[in-house]
Order: sequence, then C-alpha cells, then structure tokens
Amino acid sequence: MSDFLKIRNLRASIEGNQILKGIDLDINPGEVHAIMGPNGSGKSTLSAVLAGRDDYEVEADEVSFLGKDLLELEPEERSREGLFLAFQYPVEIPGVSNINFLKAAINAKRQHQGLDEISAKDFMALVKEKQALVELKQSLANRSVNEGFSGGEKKRNEIFQMAMLEPRLGILDETDSGLDIDALKIVANGMNKLKNKDNAFVVITHYQRLLNYIVPDFVHVLYNGRIVKSGDKTLALELEEKGYDWITKEVESV
Amino acid sequence: MSNKKQFLDQFDHLAATLPLQGAARAAIHTGLDFPTTRDEYWKYTRVNGILNATYAINDAKLGDVSQHQLNGLDAYYAVFVNGVFAPEHSSQQLPEGLEITSIAAAQGARRELLLEHLGQHTDVKKHAFNALNTSYFKDGVFITVDKDRVVEKPVVMLHVSTGEGSASNVRNLIHIGSYAQAEFLMQYEGEANNQSFTNALTEIIAEEGAKGMCYLLQNEGDGSKQVNTTQVVQKRNSTFSVVTLTKSGELVRNNLNFSITEEGCESNMYGIYFTSGKQHVDNHTYADHLKPHCNSNELYKGVMTGRSTGVFNGKIMVHKDAQQTNAFQSNQNILLTDTASVNTKPELEIYADDVKCSHGCTIGQLDEEAMFYLQSRGLGKEAATKLLIQAFAGDVLEFIACDALRDDMEDFIQQKFKELDA
Repeated sequence: MSDFLKIRNLRASIEGNQILKGIDLDINPGEVHAIMGPNGSGKSTLSAVLAGRDDYEVEADEVSFLGKDLLELEPEERSREGLFLAFQYPVEIPGVSNINFLKAAINAKRQHQGLDEISAKDFMALVKEKQALVELKQSLANRSVNEGFSGGEKKRNEIFQMAMLEPRLGILDETDSGLDIDALKIVANGMNKLKNKDNAFVVITHYQRLLNYIVPDFVHVLYNGRIVKSGDKTLALELEEKGYDWITKEVESV
Repeated sequence: MSNKKQFLDQFDHLAATLPLQGAARAAIHTGLDFPTTRDEYWKYTRVNGILNATYAINDAKLGDVSQHQLNGLDAYYAVFVNGVFAPEHSSQQLPEGLEITSIAAAQGARRELLLEHLGQHTDVKKHAFNALNTSYFKDGVFITVDKDRVVEKPVVMLHVSTGEGSASNVRNLIHIGSYAQAEFLMQYEGEANNQSFTNALTEIIAEEGAKGMCYLLQNEGDGSKQVNTTQVVQKRNSTFSVVTLTKSGELVRNNLNFSITEEGCESNMYGIYFTSGKQHVDNHTYADHLKPHCNSNELYKGVMTGRSTGVFNGKIMVHKDAQQTNAFQSNQNILLTDTASVNTKPELEIYADDVKCSHGCTIGQLDEEAMFYLQSRGLGKEAATKLLIQAFAGDVLEFIACDALRDDMEDFIQQKFKELDA
C-alpha cells in the first residue's frame, strides 16, 4: 500500500543470535510512529538495521524506502535518500568540526540530488535558523563533533543535524534517554516543528514520557523481535499504567 | 666488512679540514661499524641499501630553487646543494643579530663559539652515521642568533639533493643566545625518482631562556634514503620544540635527541609520517632529563598504507637529580591496509622518585563507530576516511605555527589521498 517505507518479515541476527524475528511495518508521509518495548526487545537493532549498520546479518522479504530496496544501499546512500537516524549514543569525533562535517553532509546530499554546493552564506543562515530550533549554543556548533558535549547537548545536536539535513524519514533512537524534562521539551519541540505532511518519524522509546510532547499517530510494541501489538496513542498510556508485563504475559499465553 | 670499505672509499677523497674530522675518520676506518639489525636501536631498520649503493659525489649547481620553496613563505634562506652552501640562492640581507655562514667562514668570536660546540654534543666515535657525517661533511651551515634577539621570520635551511646517486653529509650547527627567539625550518628536497643518500647531523644549542622551534621537513623523493640526527642541548629555562614532518623517502631514519642539561626547560617533540608503497620511516627519540623541574612532551602520529613500515622508539631517561620532571609521550598509528606495519616502543628509565611520566602507543584502524556516524549523515567512505585522517593528523599540525608550512602539510595529506584513490 505504501511506497514510503514498507517492511516485510525483517529479520536480523548478530553472532548467531536472532534479534529481529520478522517485523512488518508500513509508514506513510505525515505520520509519527512510536516503537516501544522492554529492554532487549530489539528496538535499537531495528533502528541500526534501517540505518545500515553492518554488524548484523539481515534478511527480509521486503524493505523498501521511497521505492528503493533499502537493504541494498550503503549507509551514506540511505542518508542521501532521506533517511536519518538520531543515535542513542552519538559518538565523539575529536578534530572534526561539527560545522565542516555538516556542510560536507549537506553537500553530499545536494550532489546526489544534482544540486550545486550550498553557498557559505546560505549555509550559515541555515545553521543559525536550525540552531535556534533546538536552542543549541553557537559555541557547540563550532566545536568538534560531540566532543565534550553533555548528554543533553549530544541529543540536541542530533536533532540539530536532523533539522539541517531535512530527512524524509527520521528515526529517533531513545533520544529521550538521559534527558531532563527541559531538554526533553526542547528536543520534542524541535521535532514537532520539523514535522510536515511529506515526512515521517519513528520514535523509539522505552518510556511514555516523550510521547506527552510528541504525539504519535501509531504506537507499536516490540517484544522479543516482533511487533506484538499496535494501536493509537492510548496504547502508550496503557503501557505506562500497566507496565510491559501486561503485554509480555499476553504474548506468552498465546 | 668489505662493503664498509667500498662505501667509505667513495668519500675518502674529501678533505678533512678540522681536527675533529680527522679523529672521526680514524674512528670509522677502524673499530666503528655501521649498525645492523642485531643492534637494539636498529632492529627494524636495515642500512645495507645505503652501504651497498654506488654514489656520485659531485658538487652541483642549481639554476632555480624556487620550485623547492614553500608557497607564500616569507623567510630567510640558506640554500645548500648536495650539502654545499649555495650563496647565490641564499638571503643576502639578514636582520641584526642573525648570522648565517658556512662553517669554514666563521671568524673571530664566532669561530670560538663554533669550536666550543661543533661535534661536542654528539659522540661521533660511537655512532657510525655521526662519524661518517663528521668525517666527510664538505661544509656546513653555522647559524647564530645573538642574545635577546627575536628573529621575526623563519630561518630556512633548504637542502636540495640533485643528480642520480648523490650522497651528502649535511652538517648544521645552530646557536641561540640567551633569551633569544627564533624559528627554523630544515627542509630536505630532492628530485623525483633519484636514488640519493643524505646523512644529516644537526646540533642545536639553546642558551638560558632561549625559545626556539625547528621544523624538519623531509621530502627528498621516493628513491631517497636519509639518516637524520638532531641533537638539541638545552640550558636553564629554555624552550625548544622539534616538529618532524616526513613526506617522502624510501628509507628515513630520524634520531632526535634532547639533552636537557639545566633546570626549568620545556622540550617538545612532535611528528607526522604518512607513508605508502614500500616506504620505511623510523623515528627514534630520546629525552634525557638531567636536572629537575623540566617538562617534555612528545606526540608522533603515523598513517600507513600500502606495504609501508614504520618504527617508533621513544626513550625517556630521568636521572636521579631530575626530580619534578614531567615527561609525556604518545605515539599513535593508523594502518589503512593489512600489509602496512609499525613497530612502536616506549622506553622509560626513571631514577628519580618524584616525577610524572606517561607513555602510550596505539596501532589501529579508523574508528568504526565514527565511520558509521559520518556515513549515516551522507558522507561516502572516502570522504569520511579523509575527514577522520585530517582530524587525526590535526592534533600534530596544530603545533605548526608557520602557516605556509601547515598549508603545505594539509595539501600533502590531500595529495596522498588522491594517490590512494588512483
């Protein structure tokens, strides 16, 4: 039905351990999907596999993104096609300036789209605009990538990069973990401003808390490598109230 | 060994004008042998290729040296061709307090200063390449900076090897007077694919409170071999830094020795080597802490590709008197191919009990997490590799205060990537 993101029977294993055991998921433009689940259910693996991390052995009947076979693409090609992963643990890269790196990333994407390199003036204007969106201090944008950033600053930097690259599909891997309530609001607010009818977001989280600020259209519960329940935002509230035990018992009794 | 005799025969026609040359010549012709891989400090570097070659030891002239000069560098130049001073290419106008002459031309008080230091800080009877240099250097450069003088522009000793099979024993002596300040570039250039051999020996004396920086830029070409020994002697409260930048050479062996003879000194050793093909680059360093309250810092970084090999040996000696010494050392290597290799060894000997010393060496590939992160933002593998290598080298490049030289090194790294892509 969807030619935006279509996932059929996605399986992934690492060193012989099967983590994802058959994921089916359809995402359409304009939608926000929350993927929740207990620790170890495969949430981060799902995001890593979609972004192209090569640590996994991946099989699927189909994973297509904007009509392309996603699994055939290198990580950088996925990015240029419009996929963005906000990392749970963004890496520090000493000596690589945040700004130069972003400029290279934007130009890689523009080249892929057949556009000229962005002008220095346009680039700086864009930086200024997007920094404001996540209230990232200018000094951070000029530093080495994530080096010496606090946990909250790293997460904001992820959203800042996402804002700069304007992806079609943003995957936020536990972006809320380790954030205090103020930082959480800033991050959520930033994402909400990026949302439009042409893009979609997958919000991976353990807690319902973030979903108070980012309202999902769909909530999926991932457990033991499968999506075991899907619903609307009320499912998240139910999980918050009853805990994951409720779902896991239900699944195991079947 | 017969190849030693054949090797020395090629130099023996050169005149020995100073008494110390005669003594060195006697030493090398008798018991002193060239090192083999059985010698601990030459375990990974074979010098047979140097000893077995045939050389053309000729005086040569160059029409133009500008092709060998760094773009945009405003400096005082002393130019040498195959180890012989070329006044026609050298700066005529020098600021007051800076003198550059050949060793032979030093007169009066400068001659006394010369004799006080030339060959006095290196044991020429112990190290064969030092003895070789001392025996056969035709002439050398003697640079003096008078006390309290600040030399505003860099002083460049540009050594050019020209002609197939050239062999040069390059000799440099630098004396920086008390509280004087100067920046030096020792630049070794050659011609594309010539097989050449340069054996350089540099002695640098930094008097009390002097502040100096010396860049060593090695770029004699893919067929060249170079043994380069630098001996720095530091007096009270002086600061001296050496940055070793190896751009080309089939075989490069550097011996960098700091003799920290009085209190309050700061000594810095930095280096970059980015090797490919079958290059072999060996850096041996020695920080000899003789007196208390001195700091030494050392950071060498290597990027190795192809079948190239690297060696790093960093010795720190802290003598019993040298309390309150801070000595730090780090050697980091990135191997971009499975066939490149590096042997790295810290060597600490500490006889004082109140010191801070640290050392570390790493050999690895590029950080996979960082690679994935950059790729996930749309950068291709090559672009991501380039960015990470630039960042890796950047930690050393930032110590280069001379813009023209830093630009040259950045261009060199870019160029190296282009070769790898091709």
